[in-house]
Amino acid sequence: MQRCDVLVVGGGLVGCAAAWHLAAAGASVTVLDAADFGLGASGQNAGSLHFQIERRFLEQGDSLARQAEQTIALSRLAIEDWKGLEAALGADLHVVMDGGFMVAETPEQVAMLERKVERELREGLRMRLLDGDEARRIAPYLSPSILAAGYAPDEGHADSRAIVPAYADAARRAGARLVSRTRLDRLQRMAGGFEAGAGDLSIQAKQVLVAAGAWTPQICGLANLHAPLYPVALLMNVTERSRTLEVPHLVQHVGRRLSMKQTGAGNILIGGGWPSRLARTVDGGFDPGVRPELIADSLAGNLRAAIDTVPAVAGLNLIRSWTGVTAVSADQLPVVGEVPRMPGFWIAGGGSAFTLGPTFARLVAQAMRGTPAPELDFVSPARFEHLNSFMG
Amino acid sequence: MRIERDTERGRPLTLTVDGHSLTAFDGETLAAAMLQNGATFRRDTRGLDRGLFCNMGSCSECMVTLLPSGRRARACVTPASDGMEVRTDG
Repeated sequence: MQRCDVLVVGGGLVGCAAAWHLAAAGASVTVLDAADFGLGASGQNAGSLHFQIERRFLEQGDSLARQAEQTIALSRLAIEDWKGLEAALGADLHVVMDGGFMVAETPEQVAMLERKVERELREGLRMRLLDGDEARRIAPYLSPSILAAGYAPDEGHADSRAIVPAYADAARRAGARLVSRTRLDRLQRMAGGFEAGAGDLSIQAKQVLVAAGAWTPQICGLANLHAPLYPVALLMNVTERSRTLEVPHLVQHVGRRLSMKQTGAGNILIGGGWPSRLARTVDGGFDPGVRPELIADSLAGNLRAAIDTVPAVAGLNLIRSWTGVTAVSADQLPVVGEVPRMPGFWIAGGGSAFTLGPTFARLVAQAMRGTPAPELDFVSPARFEHLNSFMG
Repeated sequence: MRIERDTERGRPLTLTVDGHSLTAFDGETLAAAMLQNGATFRRDTRGLDRGLFCNMGSCSECMVTLLPSGRRARACVTPASDGMEVRTDG
């Protein structure tokens, strides 16, 4: 039997980052991952640092946009966290924060953009609304068809493949114990904490943090809790390296699913939320552990949106497309905090957890050490407590 | 590095990579001709020479620019042809 202050389930960005913060604050921490660290959404996403209100909140009408307004407070913290991250971790994460555009191509999209920028300015995000020509002066690669753009000077991108190893190394240096290829098979409350196990391994922990992305519902299920997170499968693409096309910004679209940015080596990464198809288990459930199937129409649609926005990308070869699984919550907002009916049981996940992950991890670690983090109140699992009124 | 014995070559070809003249034989790929002649495929972000990786059309590490069209192509799946002109700094 091993004992620790905190057991972190899931060795992705949020899990390894939280382990680092907790261990650095003096807690004894064990991180378990069923596979290897950073193989889930943390390492599969395309690395956008997006601080404007996300398009997925805008396409559902005004109700979600109002909720998304609240995430701006977290985005503002995330901007500061990302600015200091490479120095704090002593690692090169290819962090580039030279600005980002969210473009509009139709009068309807311009109107949507204007409403969005108004909300963002009200919430204190550093932001400007530009007309097409103003945007093209900063970003000459943008298509003449772009009528307007929201410009956030702090947006950018980072290397999603570098971040988890950097957090994991920092966590180890701070004394955390990281255990890979170990799938949790039991997790229950006991006097003074929790007892968890994976085969022959048994761990007693005072607190548990579940940061398992799309696997979070299964892990919570071991503790007889519902967690309203759902796996979604997405598509990412990358072109060959280009020296002739320079896209030093993050580029998104307010009316179409699109994210674009250029790596340090010159490749253009293209994503933006186009679906791929989740694999199934034999009994008909979704299996987030199997690579989703690419959907040809998604690929065509994603590349069309990229070419319409940045025409020069049409001259580049696509060298790879890949699919990956992330998780969204029932109301699209992240789920980060303690489960009220099970003190000591914490969850952190549910979308945008590359951009916001370092901030979730820092704040949840702070709260787990006993200093409340009111910034997380609106994303607390407490809003789903009704789902657990017969559980726990 | 070519097999020299008990093999029949296609006719000899001459092509140009980054201004340097290379010889190859009909039926060889551009990548094979470049490897045989010691050409670098590209330099990485630290300025180090990089070669091709998979030699089967999958990794795209051997992308070169074909002149005069400017078309980008994988050298490993592009047949060498006489008079071909190639640049590696695209």
